[in-house]
Amino acid sequence: MSNQSGNLKLTNITKIFGNGADKVTAVDNFNLTINPGEFVTLLGPSGCGKTTTLRMIAGFETPTEGDITLDGKDLKNLTPDKRPMGMVFQSYALFPHMSVFENVAYGLRVQHASKQEIETRVAEVLEKMSLSHLAQRAPNQLSGGQQQRVALARAMVVQPKVLLFDEPLSNLDAKLRAQMRVEIRKIQQSLGITSVFVTHDQDEAMSLSDRIVVMRNAVVEQSGTPDEIYRRPNSVFVADFIGRSNFFKVDKVESKSKGNAKVSVNGESMEVSAHPNAASSPNPVLLVRPESIAVKPAKSGKSHGTVTNIVFYGNHVEYSISTSHGEVTAIESDPIYDEIVQPGNGATFEFHPSRAWLLPNEGKIVHEE
Amino acid sequence: MAIRSQSAKLDVFTKIAIFVLVLILSVLILIPVGNVLYKSFQPGGIDVLRDVVENDYTRQIVLNTIWLGTSVGAVGTLVGFLLAYVQVRVSFRGKKLLHVLSLLPLVSPPFAFATAVIVLFGRSGIISNGVFNKEPMIYGYKGLVLVLATSYFPVAYMNLLGMLRSLDPAVDEAARSLGASKFKIFRTVTLPLLIPGLGASFLLLFVEAIADLANPLVIGGDYTVLASRAYVAISGEYNVPGGAAYSTILLVPALMVFIIQRYWSQRADVVTVTGKPSGQVDMIKTPLAKYSLLTLAWSIAAFVVLVYSMVILGAFFKVLKVDYSLTLDNFRYIFSGVGNDAVLMTTMLALIATPIAGFFGMMLAWVIVRKIKRGGQALDFFGMLGLALPGTVLGIGYAFTFNSPIQVFGITILPQLAGGGAILGGAVAIVMVYVIRSSPAGQRSGIANLQQIDPAIDEASASLGASGGRTFRKISLPLIRGAFLTGLMFAFARSMTTLSPIIFITTPDTPILTSLILAEADTVRYGYAFAFCTLLIGIVLITMGLINLIVRKTQGTGYRPITVSAG
Repeated sequence: MSNQSGNLKLTNITKIFGNGADKVTAVDNFNLTINPGEFVTLLGPSGCGKTTTLRMIAGFETPTEGDITLDGKDLKNLTPDKRPMGMVFQSYALFPHMSVFENVAYGLRVQHASKQEIETRVAEVLEKMSLSHLAQRAPNQLSGGQQQRVALARAMVVQPKVLLFDEPLSNLDAKLRAQMRVEIRKIQQSLGITSVFVTHDQDEAMSLSDRIVVMRNAVVEQSGTPDEIYRRPNSVFVADFIGRSNFFKVDKVESKSKGNAKVSVNGESMEVSAHPNAASSPNPVLLVRPESIAVKPAKSGKSHGTVTNIVFYGNHVEYSISTSHGEVTAIESDPIYDEIVQPGNGATFEFHPSRAWLLPNEGKIVHEE
Repeated sequence: MAIRSQSAKLDVFTKIAIFVLVLILSVLILIPVGNVLYKSFQPGGIDVLRDVVENDYTRQIVLNTIWLGTSVGAVGTLVGFLLAYVQVRVSFRGKKLLHVLSLLPLVSPPFAFATAVIVLFGRSGIISNGVFNKEPMIYGYKGLVLVLATSYFPVAYMNLLGMLRSLDPAVDEAARSLGASKFKIFRTVTLPLLIPGLGASFLLLFVEAIADLANPLVIGGDYTVLASRAYVAISGEYNVPGGAAYSTILLVPALMVFIIQRYWSQRADVVTVTGKPSGQVDMIKTPLAKYSLLTLAWSIAAFVVLVYSMVILGAFFKVLKVDYSLTLDNFRYIFSGVGNDAVLMTTMLALIATPIAGFFGMMLAWVIVRKIKRGGQALDFFGMLGLALPGTVLGIGYAFTFNSPIQVFGITILPQLAGGGAILGGAVAIVMVYVIRSSPAGQRSGIANLQQIDPAIDEASASLGASGGRTFRKISLPLIRGAFLTGLMFAFARSMTTLSPIIFITTPDTPILTSLILAEADTVRYGYAFAFCTLLIGIVLITMGLINLIVRKTQGTGYRPITVSAG
């Protein structure tokens, strides 16, 4: 059932709610091309415009400016019911007065599919989602995870060109959420349906997506693969939003070349990878992820700071260290319990320059998590 | 997510629906009321308006009306609250029975109560004279408050019952765990949360009371109010502009209260939406509190039963107060004359109006809640006017507007719909009144129900390819079936028992039961009045049962509509 079409293109999309003094720009000049079969996640904090963008794709909102096309066809004048898209809602939005079977059959009935065809296709998709035994149940007799699967089945059965997900996992508990992530990804890949997924959960975005679009305050901060977003963030905001971060003040930029810079931090000079704008920015900062930092007890007067708190998780230990750079977080996996530096003691830490990434500073360092 | 506005693009179905709804509302409300206003500023009407300031007698009528509304609002709300509170917070045997008795007055023509109260407590009344041997105190203000509060408290009861049930018990539990006594919780938590609901109920009853026409005519005595004064001006003094002017004055407090009431109920929405109730309601167990509450509640129920029994038994007594042998003479009489036609005509017109009103109200609710961003409030206001406007105003307005054909540039747009010589003997205008009087009930319950249903459900239907019309039929309507049914039953009961607007447009060709009852009661032929009332109550109850059955049968899918939460 591989789907070759499904090329979704958003060009210069702007959405303004209200007018006059109450005007709110929800989405500002948004551009995105999604390739057939690609899984793209819109990620960002509440109110960043990600849901509005999704709802414009579905047709529930009309862009104030800009165009949305699917396989080259303009969607502007199509109401939601005329767009070949399936949507999975945050609240699932199952029809409470219909059985699971009827819920899934609804879209096919709208298309006037034959009775025979409806039976076959609904049975097929219920089988795929391991829901066959629940076909005659009412939605309120299902668990959250089952409702979620029905919602997905209902959206898939009409074979849409695009699947839209509006934070569909946010009402599930952590374990079920992880399980559904895997399931959604598996099904999406087997069907090859273009998918747009909205979430504020970075783990979801990282584990599901071919590409992540990070949004903030109505604009796109960065668009890239999970790897790029995590290791080569565009800004302090993205670095801070995805995963956990330490930002070190850079004493001075000693030299720069394409993609690299020689900087001195804490009196040590090192060669690191750098954002194109970083070296020329007035106060660049060095991003180092907590798991890249190794902590050792302070020896003979050489100390970078004092351990203020440790949290022992079993498979890893997390240090908070008070330093002249502010609080530094370090994560050591598979720790040897006896060698953990206890709170109140001095510590040194180090990281390999290849794990660091030089960023332009936007003025202030965003809060540490 | 925070942003949850309705569909940006309206489909054709919705656009046409909105246009038709606004058009219907304009014809049924705006034009008639505009006509009343216009007429009241003509000679004869102007004088009345001036008299409100200059003439003590006219001013007294206005003050009487407002004082009556205030009293009925206060007493009715108190009674409704007591019954609702007992229902939710006290456990006792016979709860269902008390609930039914608390709703019973809804299905009676209001002046059945007035008539029964007169026979019981009036001049040489069964109880006032027979038991206490006293002069009657029942005519005038006191009797009116008693009768009106008894007739309308179920409105407050339903309102407050819903509110009390939706209060989150966890709030009480929180107060309890902070050390508050039960009485302190009642005073500092429950009551403040209910204030918007109490206010809204008071105002609803206020409007009902000042608009009531039948009771002041039957039991008002010398206590003249605007509604009855307007009726006398038109049907007794043939001063049409004068009658219009009294109605216009009545319109002012009615509309003011309606607007305040809307404000209150919007606040009430904010306060009472608590999501899923958690925990258990703490029942009242202190014997003193429990039994005093129960005694009060059952006393009220007993009074309702007493009055009801009087109506029904009165229909079978030979001659009230003289000969209590049972007879069917009263029924023989009412079926021998015009009564026969009236039963058929009233039932038929109400049956025609009921589905129209129910569908119209639901349609309005759906468009208001789901389809339009701005203007929803205005459309809601517009639709609810049908209930908020005093019946007298509507009736006079209909008489003015539809007693002659409506022409624009010499072309007849609407033929004569009301009065003698109108098409179908004026039945069309009566159906129109029934529809506009009863559709607000459907509209209100439809809105309340739709607001509880996640808008994503409509969107899910649209994203699966369903048009606006299909979504309304297959998704929204089935989900608000309960509300639809309630709306239908209320519409029918309301139509069968309405009098004040009808009295101005009924014709010899369209005899209406309520106006016949008034005529009998007015001429002190109580036996016949009771027989009519009994018949009317019977028809209403039977038809409500049938509607219930039909709607359940035809729409039954096996899945009961459930409250849908987003969590």
